[in-house]
Amino acid sequence: MKRTLTVCPYCGTGCMFYLVSDNGRLIGVEASSTHPVSRGGLCVKGWNAFAFVHHPDRLTTPLIRKNGTLQAATWDEALELVVERLAQVQQRHGRDALMFASSAKATNEENYLLMKLARAVFQTNNIDHCARLCHSSTVTGLAETFGSGAMTNAISCIDETDVIFVIGSNTTEQHPLIGSRIMNAVRSGTRLLVADNRRIRLARHADLHLRHRNGSDVPLLCGMMQVIIAEGLADREFIATRTENYEALAESVAPWTPERSAAETGLEAADIIAAARLYAGAKRAMIFYSMGITQHSHGVDNVRCIASLAMLTGNIGRPGTGVNPLRGQNNVQGGCDMGALPDLYSGYQKVSEPLHRQRFAAAWGVPALPDTPGLPLTRAMDAASDGKLFAMFIMGENPLLSDPDQHHARKALENLELLVVQDIFLTETAALAHIVLPAACYAEKEGTFTNTERRVQRVRKAVEPPGEARSDQDIICAIAQRAGYDGMTYADASEVMDEIATLTPHYGGISYERLDPHGIPWPCPTPDHPGTPILHQQRFTRGQGHFSPVSHRLPQEQPDADYPLVLTTGRTYFHWHTGTMTRRTHLLDREEPGSFLELHPDDATRLSIRHRERLLVISRRGSIQTEARVTSMVIPGVVFMPFHFAEGAANRLTNNVLDPESSIPEFKVCAVRLEKLP
Amino acid sequence: MKSLTPLQLEHFLAHLAERYELRVPILLPDGTRTIGSPDDGPLALLGGAVPGKPTAAFFPQQETIFTAIHGRLSQAPPPPKPLFILGFTATDLECLRFIDRFFADGIRDDLYFRLRQGAVVAGISGYCGAKGTLLPPAAGNCDLELFLAGDTWLVIPYSGTGTELAKELPNAATPEEAELFKCSIPTVPDGGETLLQAASALLCADRVPDSFWEELGERCIACTGCNLACPTCTCFGVQDWRSSTGVERSRTWDSCQLDGFMREASGHNPLGSEALRSRRRIHHKLAADPRKWGEISCFRCGRCDAACPTGIGMMAVAADLVARFG
Ligand code: SF4
Ligand code: SF4
Repeated sequence: MKRTLTVCPYCGTGCMFYLVSDNGRLIGVEASSTHPVSRGGLCVKGWNAFAFVHHPDRLTTPLIRKNGTLQAATWDEALELVVERLAQVQQRHGRDALMFASSAKATNEENYLLMKLARAVFQTNNIDHCARLCHSSTVTGLAETFGSGAMTNAISCIDETDVIFVIGSNTTEQHPLIGSRIMNAVRSGTRLLVADNRRIRLARHADLHLRHRNGSDVPLLCGMMQVIIAEGLADREFIATRTENYEALAESVAPWTPERSAAETGLEAADIIAAARLYAGAKRAMIFYSMGITQHSHGVDNVRCIASLAMLTGNIGRPGTGVNPLRGQNNVQGGCDMGALPDLYSGYQKVSEPLHRQRFAAAWGVPALPDTPGLPLTRAMDAASDGKLFAMFIMGENPLLSDPDQHHARKALENLELLVVQDIFLTETAALAHIVLPAACYAEKEGTFTNTERRVQRVRKAVEPPGEARSDQDIICAIAQRAGYDGMTYADASEVMDEIATLTPHYGGISYERLDPHGIPWPCPTPDHPGTPILHQQRFTRGQGHFSPVSHRLPQEQPDADYPLVLTTGRTYFHWHTGTMTRRTHLLDREEPGSFLELHPDDATRLSIRHRERLLVISRRGSIQTEARVTSMVIPGVVFMPFHFAEGAANRLTNNVLDPESSIPEFKVCAVRLEKLP
Repeated sequence: MKSLTPLQLEHFLAHLAERYELRVPILLPDGTRTIGSPDDGPLALLGGAVPGKPTAAFFPQQETIFTAIHGRLSQAPPPPKPLFILGFTATDLECLRFIDRFFADGIRDDLYFRLRQGAVVAGISGYCGAKGTLLPPAAGNCDLELFLAGDTWLVIPYSGTGTELAKELPNAATPEEAELFKCSIPTVPDGGETLLQAASALLCADRVPDSFWEELGERCIACTGCNLACPTCTCFGVQDWRSSTGVERSRTWDSCQLDGFMREASGHNPLGSEALRSRRRIHHKLAADPRKWGEISCFRCGRCDAACPTGIGMMAVAADLVARFG
């Protein structure tokens, strides 16, 4: 009987727990009673996080496609082939003909290593990861306004705030141990404002619930700012001493009277005024947001408005305040921190900056590094589909289900001369690969994850990987070595972290010895630095906070006579993304066994669709069958679908239109129609 | 009754490890306590009940029922050595007594008794609760009990095995020590017990309106922590893993707070809302079990209250119920 302290592999809340194992096999999970986030509890995914690990579907040997089918191969064969074929593609089509897709599920060390492999060994900046699909708008929008695209405050600040404003986040389902903390705060007197047109659980505890139209966040937030300025509720001193460009913001929001904002959002003007007063009237107010804000073709503008709202009221840089983007994946914060991004090295250092390039080149022992930013993941899929990108190395992602417009994603992947997938199961994407490399899962390796509050925490090995599966770190380093690079040999994961610390200022003081028991929130620049739970306290990371005015753009695809309903997509509480792990966890799979579509009772009556009836959902890009769930969770005219299910895949319908700045797809709005099945 | 210095206790445990698979309260790396193997952390006898489900020792979260590989059926053999488990508090022992009855009733649960049969259970009590407070003695329900009095552990045997083991110990307890132990045995129900009885009476008399459960349901995020922490929760689901070589059937803790727990194949669900499920959780322990088993099946260990992220564990709900409808 052994207990191993580690980090939950699901959401960015970053609960730690103990994996209980007996004779090399996981038999359960025990909560940590001292962890500052989980505090003796977990959500249902955490309690069941052991259950998929020994599943018989786990990949146990490398696979190579021969005569059209994937066949077992040795590591020697597979690695040799990966290196040979990658080199071949580069020779034929140039250095940037390959794309590396890293993973927010993998550790910091592995993300760092894959980005080093791409840049130092294969000399391309074509590396990105799934943050592109979730919070790239945050990284862009907050970098511009604050200088740092991360949650500004600590989760524990929830206990000491007066007002919480949740917009575009179904917190109790997607960050359950943060959502529940918000509920507790509300019971102790904190006021709650929820803006989300789904009737999520938090809405049922809210002082005010705004069900604004999909894609109308800019009008809502600008309307609130207009009221705040007009009613003299702005924090003049904060604006004067800590920010710049206020005049431009004030001018841009002036036309957004409550009436105009009401007309665009579908809300009552009085509610917009009430929301503005509630938020601005608080001594300390926190904003939480997530995909409802970011996954739009104007996602960056949404983020800019949120940043402006917080600065306008001085709700930044103090306990109980802040702009708090809830990062979805267990390590999506870390994936970004580690520079698994096409334009940035670890620590958000620009590849276009000669000094940074020289530093990394010197540290990595290579003569030079490429200077032009690489392709974002979503643009790489477009390039592949257009025949302009020829190889992809995908570590732990399943774009066939997670990317918008599945038809397009399939075409892109099938177009490739070489697709290498490194994963723990044969995902829908891996099934298309030429070479599949079996990886260890979170319970079978050492490393760190960085949670949504920037807390870098230790992931520990509890059991051995199945068969010949190896950790991502081992695999990446083996590839580097075979490609003739000798700068990637490490005794263990902690040595990789030591290297990260030397090159990444805000991880500068982080080493494994310091991370016991519950991690350190970055920035932690030096070995004696205690970490930084709250950012931007004396000054913003960029100096002065920058107000960035925006103009209103509608979602690209609007409902019309042919496609009269708005489809918005998301997740359910019981599943994680493409279901690779949760659909192989008996209890979770039983809870949500298949695809469904939430539909308002009014629409259901109009279309004479009954609860649980099978129906067809059709968009301009494709159609799928699913089951109707008639519920007032959604408003009339809007339907919701989770994207977990390969059968009834919501992303066959979604629109591959991207935010021009962050390249995030507009997962949250497209137009569909419903048809009864014959 | 015998007595042991802390050092003697450690020797006693080391001696037991030759014959038994030992499980004792230990300290894990982040300060969480659990009942585990002494190899996995230093002994941590002080601090009261461990936060995890203590009955997991006999009923783990997941266990294999059988495997059938190439048509050959096999089941896990009984452990090579019987278990010796130290660390159950008086309330934990009540819980254990209750689930012993449950698993023995009707078709005896062979998986449970594979580990339970022959196991020696040692209770823990005395001035070793949180911050040195008194953990009341169990005065039974176990093979032997260790009671901390000052610097001394008193050893009080109950079963035949307990008596045999205690016989090996050299020092008898002094009459004062024996008296201190006796005086600590509670004679009247404690506050928690009275509260649960009052809540149970309200439920049995149907005095709690549906609106109460609806409010409660709004607060349940379906984490399942209440069930997974509870020593008397015994529900499990059975699942098969199929591979090219055969089948593995296992069972895993289930939770009545989940929609799928009672959902019928038709899709109909008699417990189809959080309100109904929250009602069931409380009702089962305070109203249904008393009818079936003659006793309330919550022994007030407080684990569900500690595990629940939104504050709707048993004791919190009972207190709310009694305050509003009592
Ligand atoms: S809240 Fe998130 S991190 Fe915590 S247990 Fe649930 S999925 Fe895991
Ligand atoms: S207090 Fe909660 S966990 Fe403990 S026995 Fe009662 S119901 Fe179970």
